[in-house]
Amino acid sequence: MGAPDKSQANTNSMQRVKVYRLNEDGKWDDQGTGHVTVDYMERSEELGLFVIDEEDNETLLLHRISSMISTESKKESTGCSYIWDHICSVQRNLHFNSLNNETFHSANSELRELPVVELSTLPLILKTVAESGIADQMRLTELILTDQEFFRKLMGLFRICEDLENVDGLHMIYKIVRGIILLNSPQIFEKIFGDDLIMDVIGSLEYDPEVPHVQHHRNFLKEHVVFKEAIPIKDHMVLSKIHQTYKVGYLKDVVLARVLDEATVGNLNSIIHANNAIVVSLLKDDSTFIQELFARLRSPSTSAESKRNLVYFLHEFCSLSKSLPMVQQLRLFRDLMNEGIFDIVTDALQSQDKKLVLTGTDILNLFMNQDPNLLRSYVVRQEGIPLLGLLVKGMITDFGEDMHCQFLEILRSLLDSYTLSGAQRDAIIEIFYEKHLGQLIDVITASCPLEGNAQSIDQNVAKPEILSNICELLCFCVLHHPYRIKCNFLLNNVIDKVLLVTQRREKYLVVAAVRFVRTILSRHDEHLINHIVKNNLLKPIVGAFVGNGIRYNLLNSAVLELFEFIRKENLKALVKYLVDSFWDQLVKFEFFASVQALKVKYEQCLESFGPKGSTNVSDPRKRTDERALEKEEEDYFNEDSDEEDTASASMPNSQKVQAQPQPVLSNGVAANHPPSSPRSVGLVDYDDDEDDEDYKPPPRKHPKPPMKKGTMESLRLKRKLASKDREPELAKRQRLGKNSKPKESVFAALCTTLSQAVLPNKKTASNMHATHTADGVSNSGEGKIQENEHAISRSCADSNNSEDEDNREKEPATSRGCSDPCMVLRRIDSWVERTAH
Amino acid sequence: MSDLDRQIEQLKKCEPLKESEVKALCLKAMEILVEESNVQRVDAPVTICGDIHGQFYDMKELFKVGGDCPKTNYLFLGDFVDRGFYSVETFLLLLALKVRYPDRITLIRGNHESRQITQVYGFYDECLRKYGSVNVWRYCTDIFDYLSLSALIENKIFSVHGGLSPAISTLDQIRTIDRKQEVPHDGAMCDLLWSDPEDIVDGWGLSPRGAGFLFGGSVVSSFNHANNIDYICRAHQLVMEGYKWMFNNQIVTVWSAPNYCYRCGNVAAILELDENLNKQFRVFDAAPQESRGTPAKKPAPDYFL
Repeated sequence: MGAPDKSQANTNSMQRVKVYRLNEDGKWDDQGTGHVTVDYMERSEELGLFVIDEEDNETLLLHRISSMISTESKKESTGCSYIWDHICSVQRNLHFNSLNNETFHSANSELRELPVVELSTLPLILKTVAESGIADQMRLTELILTDQEFFRKLMGLFRICEDLENVDGLHMIYKIVRGIILLNSPQIFEKIFGDDLIMDVIGSLEYDPEVPHVQHHRNFLKEHVVFKEAIPIKDHMVLSKIHQTYKVGYLKDVVLARVLDEATVGNLNSIIHANNAIVVSLLKDDSTFIQELFARLRSPSTSAESKRNLVYFLHEFCSLSKSLPMVQQLRLFRDLMNEGIFDIVTDALQSQDKKLVLTGTDILNLFMNQDPNLLRSYVVRQEGIPLLGLLVKGMITDFGEDMHCQFLEILRSLLDSYTLSGAQRDAIIEIFYEKHLGQLIDVITASCPLEGNAQSIDQNVAKPEILSNICELLCFCVLHHPYRIKCNFLLNNVIDKVLLVTQRREKYLVVAAVRFVRTILSRHDEHLINHIVKNNLLKPIVGAFVGNGIRYNLLNSAVLELFEFIRKENLKALVKYLVDSFWDQLVKFEFFASVQALKVKYEQCLESFGPKGSTNVSDPRKRTDERALEKEEEDYFNEDSDEEDTASASMPNSQKVQAQPQPVLSNGVAANHPPSSPRSVGLVDYDDDEDDEDYKPPPRKHPKPPMKKGTMESLRLKRKLASKDREPELAKRQRLGKNSKPKESVFAALCTTLSQAVLPNKKTASNMHATHTADGVSNSGEGKIQENEHAISRSCADSNNSEDEDNREKEPATSRGCSDPCMVLRRIDSWVERTAH
Repeated sequence: MSDLDRQIEQLKKCEPLKESEVKALCLKAMEILVEESNVQRVDAPVTICGDIHGQFYDMKELFKVGGDCPKTNYLFLGDFVDRGFYSVETFLLLLALKVRYPDRITLIRGNHESRQITQVYGFYDECLRKYGSVNVWRYCTDIFDYLSLSALIENKIFSVHGGLSPAISTLDQIRTIDRKQEVPHDGAMCDLLWSDPEDIVDGWGLSPRGAGFLFGGSVVSSFNHANNIDYICRAHQLVMEGYKWMFNNQIVTVWSAPNYCYRCGNVAAILELDENLNKQFRVFDAAPQESRGTPAKKPAPDYFL
């Protein structure tokens, strides 16, 4: 909106376009090349889109704009908005052009001059304003602007009428002023919103004949609105713009809210936008102003009340800077950071005043949207009060009725591993895992009753909303920091603790816990899966499922989906564990296809397992190189000097090994343990269960599967091999080191498209897997985008070879639709076709 | 009068709620929606409504034609937000009615009830404009994740926003979707919200929308037969006459946004089913110009800049 200079260029250049028509076979026929314009249709006041052939001046395409129907599609948006903006701006431009271009429509205009502004001529002026057609309106605008005295005289009349309480006159003036505003001329706005006229203009709009009571807009503006000057602003120009902006906004949102059309609202917004840019720009360049602002914010002698206002001011200042061009905005934010804005926010976040705290987070959010690295660079610094801690604290603080989802949002952006910025991001993730993850888990354990003891909740119990946010953040972490969560979860029994949430009464929390486990499983991580099996971690989930009975609610769906996932992804260890341990409970639900299928899968597993006795969790259908990569990844993780863990240095390595009772490591350390205890039953062999006090062996009502021994042997064999295999592994690891970066970024590209989604759907999960083979991507997620682009890609297909298509795939989808006016036109044509059905 | 009733009255005047009220409403709605099935059972009599798209005043026309909730039972087939000027008020009113009369109104999810789509088609910007922050958008989009995916009226009429999916042949399969997520780019959940029936297609075809599929008459026949369903009722596509039967009355499209985008010139329809599932389409026009217009916004009491 509101970039008249740009759109003017568009119309002047008369864009050259190609016109295609969708034929009955779904193919695009070339109709020729021409120039596109938006103009009035013949014998009509409606606008149309014209394309005139450049060779023979024939009309190639004529389409009435008002009847255009746009069917949405995921990727068409830029194209739509492009052409729509174009049409809107051309529509506006027609007004401007007419001023400079007498030939345009003024030929058939009857309007020659305006009457002299006097009380007696008001009816005539009103008639002129109210009854003019589009062409006349342009002429009218021109006349009003040429008459330097018009508004001064009209407002003079208004004051006289008001003094004389001449209601008829006032009503007429109301209609005249309203009509003139609806002419939507920027030049007129510039005049009537000037300091000398704007209050009278607003005054004249108090007398709406259709509203029974006179409005008191001027009184409100003069007496009730407070202009807060946190810091005195001396520049007269700035002050004038600030007041003008408020008044124009008031006019738009209050005085004429029910009157204005879209185009006029658009132009008023442009004025506000431009004013904001001027104000912010002048203030930021006033170095004494900025220095004084921060000096006051820091000074101990400034009162709390005054500091609060200064923070509010700062927020408004940052928020209005959105009106600046990108580069300037970025520079401003950098300057503010250097002035110490984050120290100020850190202070605000420690306030008792919740509104102030939330204003602080709003400021941080503005920075995150602009350039997350600014905040990151502050968060990683060592000195002072750690901001990250305050954000975590905010997330687990009860804000009563206020919304406080900002904390989760900021933390997510800070911890986002898909954004490309190495050191700082890693340092933040590091601090988070070292200091804060535990805090979040503690909130859960304090807020969930222990099993069978619903009354054990103390007063530290957190609001369900907070627990749900924690679960969401944990799911996010599982997807973003697979290695860290693995280490952390295994060491600290995190999964166990999070599953306490299943004891909560609120069903959406129970479902959140199920989803957390489901997200972990989507990683296909053998260690985590074994950990789950070994610690009987699905017990609370099956319990919740069984307790839910046959209610077809979200809990039911989430658990069935979990079962489906386990079965379809062929997670055999889990299939066996589930059926072995819980079939006596699940059998009641055999009428659910998913439950029955799980049992069938189990039986298939038994058969295939028998002779071979392999415990391998990974899918045998997977390509071997893929498996090799996975293996490398495991080995990478199992290396004691693994890069990420050294970076974390949360614990010396020796300690880490001690602190880890379960031999989840399948390397040499575990192999040195004595063979597993004979009491281990299931199909999978787990050693030293004795360390594990929480371990409750699953019920054993079913006959023991017969091939246990073979399984154990093969497992031992595997471990031996693993321990002997150290040297080749090193070489592999180096290779992995090289591969890992592009792999991560491809993965990132895929996953950012998921945006907020916490839980990848089945296909995405398998896509994630597919990305392990670095080039396997093209036929998964990205391929779909190509498909999404149907409308565009089809029209280009004839001229582009496949290599070209590949290149385009890498461009952001949004940048494509608008770059080529031909495409837009083709699409409009297809809209027209579709409307016809 | 309870807070909720007061809020409903306020929303009926097209005045949005305060942030804190939105938060409380969303938390209550979550508890109700989590208990619903992906194939939510609905009893007749019920009135089925298609896309609304933030056309608040036209939705008021809809209630004039169909009767007020809770006197009339309603099933809304999604696409409450985007495109129109009043997505916030439209969705919050429907949600408030849902919380107030959970058994009288059913809301299922449309393809526009999504974070990604609302950022492009208006709801995001509207929240930012009306509240000065996107918190309300966050809460509402979180609620979208809880909305059911389809409804089954008296075991005979299957209702969904978009259409069928090649991954779904039975209703039970829909029940095994964990719907609490952003609408995915593909898969069953995506298809249910994005697909369209298409005359020329026999079987499945690529959708020009870039998500979901086109499906032909044979697909509908076998789905209806397999699930013992009379017909499918869906929305998602503008039909100038408000409703349109296809494939020998095996599927019907209901569209409830008259003069779509305030410029398409179409009429809208709702489908009334009585307790014996007898059908009556009620066609209606856009609200007259006088009855609309933005109610004055409360001006900020103070300003720094």
